[in-house]
Amino acid sequence: MAPRCRRYPLPLPRSSTGSGSRRFSFSPVDSSSAAESGVAGSTSRALHSGVAWYAGIRGKFYEGKQSSDFYKWGSGLSLGGVRHARVASMAAVGAKFEAKPEDCIEVSVDGKDVTIAKGMTVLQACEVAGVDIPRFCYHPRLSIAGNCRMCLVEVEKTPKPVASCAMPALPGMKIKTTTPLVKKAREGVMEFLLINHPLDCPICDQGGECDLQDQSMVYGSDRGRFIEAKRSVVDKNLGPLVKTVMTRCIQCTRCVRFASEIAGVQDLGVLGRGGAEEIGTYVERLMVSELSGNVIDICPVGALTAKPSAFTARSWELKSTESIDVSDAIGANIRIDSRGPEVMRILPRLNEEVNEEWISDKARFAYDGLKRQRLNEPLIRSADGQLEPVSWARALKTVAEAALKVNPDQMAAIAGKLSDAEAMMALKDLMNRLGCERLWVEGNGEDTVADLRSNYLVNSTIAGLENTDACLLVGTELRIEAPLLNHRLRKAVRNLRAKVGVVGPETELHFKAEHLGNNAEVLASIAEGKHPFAQTLSKAKFPSIVVGSGVLQRSDKEAVLAAVQTISQNANVIRDDWNGYNFVLLNAAQAAGLDLGFVPGSRATVGDKSSIKFLYLLGADDLTPEDIPVDAFVVYQGHHGDRSAYRADVILPGVAYSEKEGTFENTEGRTQQTSPAVPTVGDARDDWKIIRALSELAGVKLPYDTLNGVRARMLAVAPNLFRVDELEPATPLPKESLPEVKAKLESSPFKRAIENFYMTDPISRASKTMAQSTAAFSRS
Amino acid sequence: MALSLARAAFNAIREKGVGGALRSAKEQGYLAALLDGNLANEKFRFDGQLIGTDDFGNEYYEKTTGVQHGRHRWVVYKDRTYNASSIPPEWHGWLHHITDRTAEQLEGLKPRRYGIEHTRNRTGEGEQYIYHAKGHALNPNKRDWKRYQEWIPAE
Repeated sequence: MAPRCRRYPLPLPRSSTGSGSRRFSFSPVDSSSAAESGVAGSTSRALHSGVAWYAGIRGKFYEGKQSSDFYKWGSGLSLGGVRHARVASMAAVGAKFEAKPEDCIEVSVDGKDVTIAKGMTVLQACEVAGVDIPRFCYHPRLSIAGNCRMCLVEVEKTPKPVASCAMPALPGMKIKTTTPLVKKAREGVMEFLLINHPLDCPICDQGGECDLQDQSMVYGSDRGRFIEAKRSVVDKNLGPLVKTVMTRCIQCTRCVRFASEIAGVQDLGVLGRGGAEEIGTYVERLMVSELSGNVIDICPVGALTAKPSAFTARSWELKSTESIDVSDAIGANIRIDSRGPEVMRILPRLNEEVNEEWISDKARFAYDGLKRQRLNEPLIRSADGQLEPVSWARALKTVAEAALKVNPDQMAAIAGKLSDAEAMMALKDLMNRLGCERLWVEGNGEDTVADLRSNYLVNSTIAGLENTDACLLVGTELRIEAPLLNHRLRKAVRNLRAKVGVVGPETELHFKAEHLGNNAEVLASIAEGKHPFAQTLSKAKFPSIVVGSGVLQRSDKEAVLAAVQTISQNANVIRDDWNGYNFVLLNAAQAAGLDLGFVPGSRATVGDKSSIKFLYLLGADDLTPEDIPVDAFVVYQGHHGDRSAYRADVILPGVAYSEKEGTFENTEGRTQQTSPAVPTVGDARDDWKIIRALSELAGVKLPYDTLNGVRARMLAVAPNLFRVDELEPATPLPKESLPEVKAKLESSPFKRAIENFYMTDPISRASKTMAQSTAAFSRS
Repeated sequence: MALSLARAAFNAIREKGVGGALRSAKEQGYLAALLDGNLANEKFRFDGQLIGTDDFGNEYYEKTTGVQHGRHRWVVYKDRTYNASSIPPEWHGWLHHITDRTAEQLEGLKPRRYGIEHTRNRTGEGEQYIYHAKGHALNPNKRDWKRYQEWIPAE
């Protein structure tokens, strides 16, 4: 199939005698058809110009492949673009284009008049017109550097070509992008860039998805004139995640700007000038940030690539599956790239409301844990204490018999951090039918009340936290618990000069924050209005409070939450137009578990674990061996042989998030679904199916046989879990309806909820990369 | 040659008796050489000077005077199944007049980091010596589609 991408006439053959015949000339596609051939429609493109450059450029280059499932980057982004066009106008991506008519100006791009907002650059004007401008250094989420010069265009009445990314568009400007001058300028810039770029595409990990490779094919000359020696640059050590081949660097400084503007670490910088210019870390330092992996994505060439997946796969042999990350409660949108039965890498997917285009390092690099320590067959502990492989029928029968022998009061079920809503629904139904009400989700604590939905969600929404101008963090290390939410708060600090106060463990948040203390007295004094930060909060236009779910592990959690409620009342945090009360969850399973009522029932005993005789662990690994009574019958259903598997009497192999279609709810109440990217391992089965089969053997058959059946049941319990990709906001309740709290604040300091960011769940604990990261970046 | 062979046999019989001489002849490979003309040609040549022995037991002889040029160095193979690749590279050079230094003198030349022990070519000596690609049905370590490592419950 002939590519429909824009072609520029190739240069004349050197031997041409000037007859004017061009052997390989193609006439440029006219701009209207170029706009249509873009992935997003013209309306959403205009609204969503920030994405347009990616979707447009990628879409054009790979149009031939896009219809198949082969190349998903372009189509994935374009889906995001269409779906989130509504939000794009809200978020500060690229150009804000929700302007009043008097704030608009008109410019002409290639003879086509377009209306754009004041303050947009020439490059953004071209995007609105549907014209793609090649670029390397410009990135819509970073500041403008203007140093690659690839985006040169001609503007009428200017003597020289202008760098369109750095030039503001002015009324009546006549921009030309298809003139011989522009073509020559692009060719010249490309030739300069290629002077010191090595010709190692065949051994480069970026090969096939490289901006320089793609753009040199379209905009570059067919030959170079450089015959001198190329320069070489010493590689830098950025730790176990990011591999550097600095000779390939074209000095676009995107990584430097990302580090200082998005990640908030000042570790990367530019050294030297001219031919001696290099990106480096000044002194031998690693780049310590939870978001460091994103520099791999923004690097337009192969200078920064992923170290764990180096030399393992080529971009065109991978199958991409759009999925959801479960390593934290943010629910970042990811794309799982797999080859055969193996996950080869994980990349972010665009979702302005959740993760923009970033993901945390744990989400990106913990995938090698999916291949290690897997449970692949049912195991039963035999009389001599050894675990032995058995058939599914025997394993399930053993569990059913053990469950029926025990009094329902002595049973308990715990859902782990990575449990999907379907499995939790099935497990809750099974345990309830057996008469057991003692259920909880790891991280939620054993006696959590799930009555008020607004009490356990990020009510401002993740994207909405960017708008806050004063924020109080209570008992949370936001950078470690939810790096992407921390990034949103960082944006608020950068853009709105938001004042942030921290009550809790002292942590570097990578932005300016005032540490108020780490004890409940500080909280009490803010609640009483004595502390100066109380005034800061009440004076703020959009005040917010972020409470970490580590608070739930405290014995005085009711008093702490009551104090936070008082602060929010005093500072008017919850209003009709703004709800700044945010409760940050730690794990992917927590929100859905609370919505489904996976909490202890009214008849359940709470606290004393010594009475438990039958314990069902759905991938739950946080109980210490001392917590589990010696005579308890422990069933472990999960995908990794992690801590609890050693204590289990029966092991039922389930599937990991990359292998199942599971529903997850993130910490702001957004329902999202994972999709299976790779097949299940060995004899493992879908989690809800295991529980459904078990229910039949236990004589309490659950009334659903299909995934849709389970979801119909979920629809009855928590309707929002049925509305995928939608945010279900919680209605805040008036103060009068809140129960009165008599508990007193204790003086103990707030503890850290997460000791090691890189190892929090069974997958990341099995991951070698995460172990290396722990060794390299640990904070001790 | 025939004279020296007879003298050597006579001496051996006088020392050890007929049975003992036959036994030691077998141990030293003389009886095997009787069945293999190539081997016998070198084995029953007693006028050379032993220059050295390699790790496999092959003996290297030299006679500098009174021989046709080019036939003054020879090897007596230890093994009954031998071929040219039985000779390790360090002796190959000496035997083929590439160098006059013997293996002992060349000892330092073997690369320490990646040098491996010499093995002779085993072609035709059995199924186990045949190379099979990673996906070949006869490769005992044939790759399959399993790309995970299962948990092994250790105590």
